[in-house]
Amino acid sequence: MIKAVNRGLELFGAWFMSMAFDVGGIFVMFARIVRAMLPPKLDGPETWTNLYRVGVKSFPIVVVTAMFTGAIMVIQAGLYIEQYGAYGLLGWGAGFSVFREVGPIMIGLMFSGRVGANNTAELGTMMVTEQIDALRALAINPVNYLVVPRFIAMILMLFLLVIIGDLTAVIGGAITSQYLLGVDMELFYWSLVTYVTLVDFSSGLIKALAFGFAIAVISCHFGMTVRGGAVGVGRAVNNSVVASAIAIFVLDYFLTYLMK
Amino acid sequence: MVLESKLRPGEAMIRVEGVTKFYFGEPVLRDINLEVPAGSNLGLIGPGGSGKSLLLKIVAGLVEPDRGRVFVDGHDIQALSITDLAALRFKIGMLFQNYALFDFMNVSENIAFPLRQAGGFEEDAIQKRVKEQLELVGLPGIGHQYANELSGGMKKRVSFCRAVITEPPILFYDDPTAGLDPVTSSKIFIHLRRMQQRGGTTAITITHDIEGLKDICDAFAMMERGRLIFHGSRDAIEDCEIKLVRQFWEGVSDD
Repeated sequence: MIKAVNRGLELFGAWFMSMAFDVGGIFVMFARIVRAMLPPKLDGPETWTNLYRVGVKSFPIVVVTAMFTGAIMVIQAGLYIEQYGAYGLLGWGAGFSVFREVGPIMIGLMFSGRVGANNTAELGTMMVTEQIDALRALAINPVNYLVVPRFIAMILMLFLLVIIGDLTAVIGGAITSQYLLGVDMELFYWSLVTYVTLVDFSSGLIKALAFGFAIAVISCHFGMTVRGGAVGVGRAVNNSVVASAIAIFVLDYFLTYLMK
Repeated sequence: MVLESKLRPGEAMIRVEGVTKFYFGEPVLRDINLEVPAGSNLGLIGPGGSGKSLLLKIVAGLVEPDRGRVFVDGHDIQALSITDLAALRFKIGMLFQNYALFDFMNVSENIAFPLRQAGGFEEDAIQKRVKEQLELVGLPGIGHQYANELSGGMKKRVSFCRAVITEPPILFYDDPTAGLDPVTSSKIFIHLRRMQQRGGTTAITITHDIEGLKDICDAFAMMERGRLIFHGSRDAIEDCEIKLVRQFWEGVSDD
């Protein structure tokens, strides 16, 4: 019995230490990024490459997902809209929920799964194959050269992708309302621009910036602290995706509360 | 950008004083003391897992020791600022055990990378030097290929080219001939010897190819389980009575 308790305490202790290491490490990574950006010095080609890979390559999947998300919002809302005959609220309902919550959360999670996981795997592989050591041996600071361009690209591109995703979702919603529910697109548009405010739209964008920031720092931290070969890379990718998802929901909770 | 030498007359180019390193509470390097005079090549030998590569990374300033100090070109590398350490690294070339080729660059870009970072070279001159290096290691015309398209031996040679292209005064080779056929190994050792003779390069070479090492090194050190069990000249190692040293030097086992 005592042995089992001791073992349980041991496991809890190990889990707690590992979590403390990662939480602390994420803050340390952020501090290293800030330090590397003072004074501002960017590796141009590396930044452009990352902007392309992170943003342009994510564009198709964001458009498809957002289009269907907007359509689903309208189908779900449609049940009640028809029941109460509140057709003039359909555009508002879809726009409000997409701009404030569904857009940034959905695209943030997808971005974390696609870009964040890829970033951790890439940096992690570079760690275990000594490529990071090779950069340092060649007098290159890996944070300046590899992390800062990724950090900037991820924040900027998630922000832009959420804008694109929001607009695409609204288009998807408008098409569905017209052809599935028979609600005229003009009415949908009128409802959207009349009731949805700029605050609704911009609060989603503030969330996108926060999510991009969290995904970038978390994925870089887990990538740059990989140990133990291919198994270590796999574990780091898993931890990175889980930690990013938790960070997205925790940040969303606090930001929603602050911007309510 | 290159850090000025602080080497005093008669001082060794590389000096390791009481270096100890722990991993998860276990000592993996224990009180290592070592000197490599300017212009000489130290051959570092020992069984796998004895801490040779780790020691090399500590000397290169890539890993911090838990105890002890390392002096390179007269600088205590633990006391250097990040900027000064980066400046010192312009004087160091390093060949990694696992090649460490950048997989987001092709072969030419990998080899040219140190020259581009050092700055002051025309693009034509860079391309010419890259081509010369590739020819030297018997790999002409593979500049456009990526690391994942190469065999282990080819990666090793490309990695070798990247380490030596700036002709740095200090070189660290971690198993430069592992995975290479005897002819290419011999070419690499000839090139190492030439560099030694031409520029008075200071080097530490880790390899299990003892015969090749005999040709290029002035001094030898042997490690076992994190300890330095031998450090001395060629004459000293030939007369050494330590069993493991003799076995390594003569390439014989107990059986």
